[in-house]
Amino acid sequence: MENLVPITRLGKFFGGEDFTLDTGMGQEWLEGDMNFTVILYRVDRYKTKIDDVYGEVLEDGIQFLAPVELKGLVQVMTPSNKLLGNSKVEQQEPGNMKFSLYQKQLDDLGVEIFQGDYLGYYETEDRVRYYSVSDDGYVRSDNKHTYGGYKPFYRTVVATYVSENEFRGI
Amino acid sequence: MAFPKQVKPTLPLVPKKTLSARREQLLEYINEDGTYLPKSVLHADLDRGMLDFVKEDLKVVTAGKIVPMVDIIITTQNWSQYVETALFVDLDYNPAPPFITVVRSPEVKYGTNPSLQYTIPNRKQFYYASVPTWNGNEQGMDIYTIPQPVPVDINYSVKIICNRMRELNQLNKIVMQKFSSRQAYTFIKGQYVPIIMNNVSDESQMSLDARKYYVQSYDFTMLGYLIDEEEFQVKPAIQRVTQLFELDTRVLNKKRNQFPENPDEFMNNFLFVVGNTTLVDVIDYTANMVLVGTENILSYDVYINNDYYGSDVNLIQITTNDTLRIQAFKNDYSYESKITFDSKLV
Repeated sequence: MENLVPITRLGKFFGGEDFTLDTGMGQEWLEGDMNFTVILYRVDRYKTKIDDVYGEVLEDGIQFLAPVELKGLVQVMTPSNKLLGNSKVEQQEPGNMKFSLYQKQLDDLGVEIFQGDYLGYYETEDRVRYYSVSDDGYVRSDNKHTYGGYKPFYRTVVATYVSENEFRGI
Repeated sequence: MAFPKQVKPTLPLVPKKTLSARREQLLEYINEDGTYLPKSVLHADLDRGMLDFVKEDLKVVTAGKIVPMVDIIITTQNWSQYVETALFVDLDYNPAPPFITVVRSPEVKYGTNPSLQYTIPNRKQFYYASVPTWNGNEQGMDIYTIPQPVPVDINYSVKIICNRMRELNQLNKIVMQKFSSRQAYTFIKGQYVPIIMNNVSDESQMSLDARKYYVQSYDFTMLGYLIDEEEFQVKPAIQRVTQLFELDTRVLNKKRNQFPENPDEFMNNFLFVVGNTTLVDVIDYTANMVLVGTENILSYDVYINNDYYGSDVNLIQITTNDTLRIQAFKNDYSYESKITFDSKLV
């Protein structure tokens, strides 16, 4: 059996019940009222056939587990005009996506987000953009991700845009 | 048995085809390539040659697909790259990796092509070719001269943008094999132009908070040269004129002899010297003899074939082989006399 150590920080005016109440209301607002949905494609690292040397897959070669709908706060950064290296090929690079969600949601669903997993976000009814998780936010020990220093309760995932020949949800 | 020695007894200095067939042959020669001169090779042609070289000789195939190439030199007009990359763009109309692009350094420096490093001032013209000409009447040669081509060095960077190492490896293998002796050649408008590989560098985007992709750059220098057809000169050389005329080759009947041969009308003088009053002549032509005048003649009698013809006649119609006899009566027998007739052949 797992050893549990009670958190007694802020104990005179804040406790576990308050934490549960407040995060529950926030989760209700975020997941119920806001209802921003992101689809998580977890890469099946066993079924995906990779290159022995480089760990690369061919186009449409990524195998993933059953997609999972996640609710959270979606922030898509501003796109930027940039050159591909010094190639003079100019393009508008889509911005990264910051996706913040309650850890409890992941715990309830029994899923975890790792670097390299893919997120799909429907911008319109017929257009979905895929991102690759570059920061899974697994380390959430900083004050920002805690409730007033009491306990961590959410995580922020940063994902970068991927081109279609890497992943397109197929 | 030894193979018999191939002896060529005559050299084919004269074209086998002649006349109309030869003219048609010359016309075909001219129409085939436009002119006998080499084509202009200017900056755009060299750039096109580089693009074709990358497209054909550095073709990369991975996973059964040809890695597409931006088939233009990207310039300051941004729309052109979008037109060119329209076939391999993603949902954002950005070119989707993998692809290959060619970047040209805008500056073009004086060339280092070793075959052109000598300096000939003033754009002197050099003999290039002698070209036969035929304008339908005159056959000749035109001398084509061109100045020394101007060497130029153009630097290109061939870049592959991709997100798999194996695509990098594939291009690298092809480049290394192609440039195993450091240089390769492209074929531009009939000219072989050398390309030298200089350097390989990496410009990959590996930032943690941005999309990751590989960009590798292969730097090449094209040792090109400029040939400008505006500087070509064509001058006429020797010409041979052929004059053609037609003859009537039909066989005609022989004409009757005439005497005198020419002209048809002539004067006949009958001179009676002192002591002579009769002249006899066998006439070998047919003519009308018209009296022109007399000198020291009182009167005269005319006999043809000893038949009396008349006295003091003004016209004598004489026929070939007739014997004409004229008997004169002088005014003064101590002087000579003369009767003049104008004979007109009939």
